[in-house]
Amino acid sequence: MDLENTKAQMRKGILEYCILSVLSRNSCYASDIIKELKEARVIVVEGTLYPLLTRQKNAGLLSYRWEESQQGPPRKYYELTPEGKEYLADLDKSWDELVESVNLIRTGKKSKTS
Amino acid sequence: MEKTIKINLGGILFQIEEEAYRMLRDYLQSIDHKYRNVPGGNETIEDIESRIAEIFQSQKDLSGVISKENVEMMISIIGTPDEFDQYEGTESGYQTSHREKRMYRNPDDRIIGGVCGGIGAYLNNDPVWFRLLFIVFALVFGIGFLVYLALWIALPTAISNSQKREMYGNNFYHTGDKISGHGHEYAYSTKVGSAFNEVFRAIGKVLFIIVRIILIIIGVTFVLAGFTTLFTFIIIFVFKYPGSFSIDTAGYNLAYLPDFLNYIVTPAMVPLMTALIVLVVAIPLLAMIYGGIRLIFWFRASDGYIWLIGLIVWVLSVAALSIISFNEGIGYAERGKTTSLEYFRTTPDTLYIMSGRRISDLKADKEIAVPDKDYKIFIDDEKSLVYIRTYLDISPADNYSTSVEVKKRSSGNSRLDAISNAERLQYNFTITGDTLLLDEFFMIPPDTKWSFDEVGIKVFAPEGTIIRMDKTIERMYHSYYDYDFVNDPENRFWRMTEDGLDYIKPRHINR
Repeated sequence: MDLENTKAQMRKGILEYCILSVLSRNSCYASDIIKELKEARVIVVEGTLYPLLTRQKNAGLLSYRWEESQQGPPRKYYELTPEGKEYLADLDKSWDELVESVNLIRTGKKSKTS
Repeated sequence: MEKTIKINLGGILFQIEEEAYRMLRDYLQSIDHKYRNVPGGNETIEDIESRIAEIFQSQKDLSGVISKENVEMMISIIGTPDEFDQYEGTESGYQTSHREKRMYRNPDDRIIGGVCGGIGAYLNNDPVWFRLLFIVFALVFGIGFLVYLALWIALPTAISNSQKREMYGNNFYHTGDKISGHGHEYAYSTKVGSAFNEVFRAIGKVLFIIVRIILIIIGVTFVLAGFTTLFTFIIIFVFKYPGSFSIDTAGYNLAYLPDFLNYIVTPAMVPLMTALIVLVVAIPLLAMIYGGIRLIFWFRASDGYIWLIGLIVWVLSVAALSIISFNEGIGYAERGKTTSLEYFRTTPDTLYIMSGRRISDLKADKEIAVPDKDYKIFIDDEKSLVYIRTYLDISPADNYSTSVEVKKRSSGNSRLDAISNAERLQYNFTITGDTLLLDEFFMIPPDTKWSFDEVGIKVFAPEGTIIRMDKTIERMYHSYYDYDFVNDPENRFWRMTEDGLDYIKPRHINR
């Protein structure tokens, strides 16, 4: 087993969830999302994000609007669509369940309760 | 000062150092390869490009020129496609390093077919050395040339990203600070090599253009030849256009050949045979035209099945036609003949041989020359009659009487059959006093097949007999060759000698 690989697999699963979570607070430019994700040490490089954003947008979870920028080309500001919000609510729920389940298993409490 | 290049990135113009440009170009290419074929990939590529522009915009130094350091910095922020993969959905990202290396043709580093580029990528070496090697060996009896061609055909092109990974092996996209993209470090390390490569690239372009021109010329020739032949066939055999090109070398009209089929094969077989012949002729012509068009426009088409089906249909048609022809041909396997002899009641001193019914009197619809010296067939479609010229020979008799011998020859599947076929041939002649009336032709009765029928007339006359013939008979006797002789109005009298017929030379001409 490759530890790095396993870690990467774990991060991969939650990455999309993290993106939606960041956007649920306010509409963001890609770099803002990256900044938050980097701080949370979920991702390392920016390139990872772009394909995911495109995919989520095409799935109807996100929409974007163009805004002019002084630093360069116009920027895309992403926000959640109603669909995306629903999707995120679902994910929130299952995340809580997941954490609970994992904790149960890690602490071994499950065997006592049953 | 180092050379700079102007580029447009995300709608913004940048000046960039040459080396930095190469690095950026490779980087963008690697991203492009990765996302080009992914749904929504173009948008991702555009997003990344805009982001690169933004990073450059915020980082460029006072001179406004993007340096290698800027590019490296940018790549470390955005990451290499390999690094994206650490979180990407595809499993391939995890397998890259374990993947076996395979040899491909390299479409990104090619001069002719990308063979050397592929070998270079496979052996992690500069392709220029393989190019040199091939050229050196090409000079040795063209070995290099042949090997190159063989590899060109045998090696697949690395089109997809995963194929490229296999081609480069572990040198695909270095991570960290050693980014140079595509495992192309060598390209910057050997200046001589890159100079050679530029030269080869130029030569390759010229060669490619020459080859294309030759192929286009061949293609045009194919298309023209195919169309002309097809057109000619249709004009001659479908529309029976009696133009100059429907006349064969002997000067006879080819248009009637298909009709002749009615007279030589079992009637039930005619439509089938006609269809088979059309297939056998048309398929190669259509293939030629299509192949020519492909050569001219150089397009790719998955037409392998069509070629295969065409080939199979053609081979089957040829086979079927051969079998039918063979079966029909058995009907002509054996030859047979009948001979009849008729004597003159009195032996005339002067024998008049005159023509009875002549070919010129016939209202034959079609005239066909069989590839034989003077064997001509005349067909009357209405009465479904076939007329054929007879041969005439005049020889000294070995007794003192004058006689006419009629020899009929024909073919059949057995000797007896052949003889009965010969008996059916109708030939007319009459003897009245000292005059022999000969028909110029014989007839095949209606509703029977033509089977290499021949009728030969032999007139035997004792030595010393004077013989007079009319023009038609004379032409028959001379087998239509000696036209000058025949046209000479004085040569109508002949005398039978020991050695055969000798014409009596008019004295006033001889002197």
